[in-house]
Amino acid sequence: MRRPIRIPTLGGARAVILHRPHATVQALLRQLHAIGLEVTQAWPEAGAEALGADYLFFDADMGHDGLFPWPAGQPPMPLIALIGSEAPGRIEWSLRAGAHAQLLKPVGDNGAYSALLIARDAFDAQKALSAEIADLRRRLDGRQTVVRAVTLLATLGKTEEQAYAQLRQMAMAWRISFEDAAARIVAMRDGPEPGVQDG
Amino acid sequence: MTKRRIGIGLLYSRSGSYSLISEACRSGALAAIATVNADPDRDLAFVPVERDPQGNVDLYGPLCEEILRDTPARHVIGCVTSWSRKEVIPTLERHGGTLWYAVPYEGFEASDHVVYTHACPNQHLLPLLDWVMPAHGRKAYLTGSNYIWGWEVNRLARERITQAGGEIAGERYLPIGSRDVGRMIDEIRYARPNFILNSLIGPSSYEFLAAYRDLGQRDPHFLPQTCPVLSCNMTECELPAIGPAAEGLVAAGPYFRGIDGWPDAGRFGSSHEAAAYVAVLELARLLHGHPGAEALPLSQLVAQRGAGGIIDPETHHTVLPALIARVEGGAFRLLHRRAGVAGDPYLTRGTSAVIAPQLRVVS
Repeated sequence: MRRPIRIPTLGGARAVILHRPHATVQALLRQLHAIGLEVTQAWPEAGAEALGADYLFFDADMGHDGLFPWPAGQPPMPLIALIGSEAPGRIEWSLRAGAHAQLLKPVGDNGAYSALLIARDAFDAQKALSAEIADLRRRLDGRQTVVRAVTLLATLGKTEEQAYAQLRQMAMAWRISFEDAAARIVAMRDGPEPGVQDG
Repeated sequence: MTKRRIGIGLLYSRSGSYSLISEACRSGALAAIATVNADPDRDLAFVPVERDPQGNVDLYGPLCEEILRDTPARHVIGCVTSWSRKEVIPTLERHGGTLWYAVPYEGFEASDHVVYTHACPNQHLLPLLDWVMPAHGRKAYLTGSNYIWGWEVNRLARERITQAGGEIAGERYLPIGSRDVGRMIDEIRYARPNFILNSLIGPSSYEFLAAYRDLGQRDPHFLPQTCPVLSCNMTECELPAIGPAAEGLVAAGPYFRGIDGWPDAGRFGSSHEAAAYVAVLELARLLHGHPGAEALPLSQLVAQRGAGGIIDPETHHTVLPALIARVEGGAFRLLHRRAGVAGDPYLTRGTSAVIAPQLRVVS
């Protein structure tokens, strides 16, 4: 199930550090510049330009819900929490904000590269899973329609098995999903004369 | 000119499985210290503070700590394996010290406390692969010692070779110091690759090269002309330990003895020696004329004094020629040269896209 890790292109990638000016920001800037990223620092809000960032580091200690220009927990890029206080309430907030990785403060000589890779991988995995879940959910929702379409086709004198196979052939011929084909059959019955022929 | 006396740490293992490399680095550093100390135009003299970890990785941290805690030295020239370098970095951070690292390594590091004066992959491995694939083919067998150098060099090689449409015929590792190369040789015999990338170190590598030479005598496919062994870490300092089995080995590096390059051609026995020498001379240049500068952290030293020097202020890597050379008659002969390649430790600065342009084979 586990995909091989993809090493992201970091040269020229854009990172935003959402943190008040601080030695931690300096240390992180140094690391990110050494890796080859373009970095901007922002505080107390991310601002609209953060939407164009490839990575966002945020202060988990002073962070609050108004920090990000997107709905809570739905970041459009990988987020990395900069955690100083390991208080459960702050960690909970960071997770709700959607952190994909973390770096402990004070930030020193290293840690940024692995945080970038882990955050990117977690973000991509989350996105892929969400898409897969949405697809499965859509198919689940279509289950009743499939049953109706098969029943409908079966009333034209086929066995249930033949009707099912016919529906699959139609989906292939129309180049749409099985569930969408079923919806089309049902819509044809509900609408004007079906005119469905053997395919 | 009155000379300030400045302590300088030397942290090289004088015994153990990679002592030939340590000794080469150490003699380069000592030669540079002697040069600086004898130079009447330099206002400083280095006083070496030596510690010998004896090839034991767990001694590097404590001995580096000893240098930085118990002596005035803030700069340490040392470490051969990446493993030992990673061991001393926390100590350097704690004491604001600097390590000058004069050995090729696998990249993906840019410590604020380390200067890297030897090559990283865009200066050794990538030019080597760019050379070998058009010349010999794209089917590779990868070997290495079981630690980060071999693992990471081979990971990157695997990525590059498969990107270029090649294939990996096999990949195998040996514990550091192991001479158990029989299985590798068997696998190579059956896999019949076009080349072998050898990231073994020390006795494992010597044993492997000897066994591979025997294989070549039994089956001509495994002669260096058809299926060469490549290395990113082999230099002249190990040739005596290998003997005739080194013939035909192709290595990448910033310097080979007798080949014009970097720095004073012919002066050094190997690139290890040259890189350590250059490190000490650059340190002397940074400190010259600035009493107290020896106590500055590296980042400040480079920011204030780095102009005109060799250290990239962002990555602390250096610009080096990328040479590819083959052992012929016991010495390296140049096959290909790429001049002035800036160290790109994370392969993010545009060098990563270089795949087999029109390379000219110099022979």
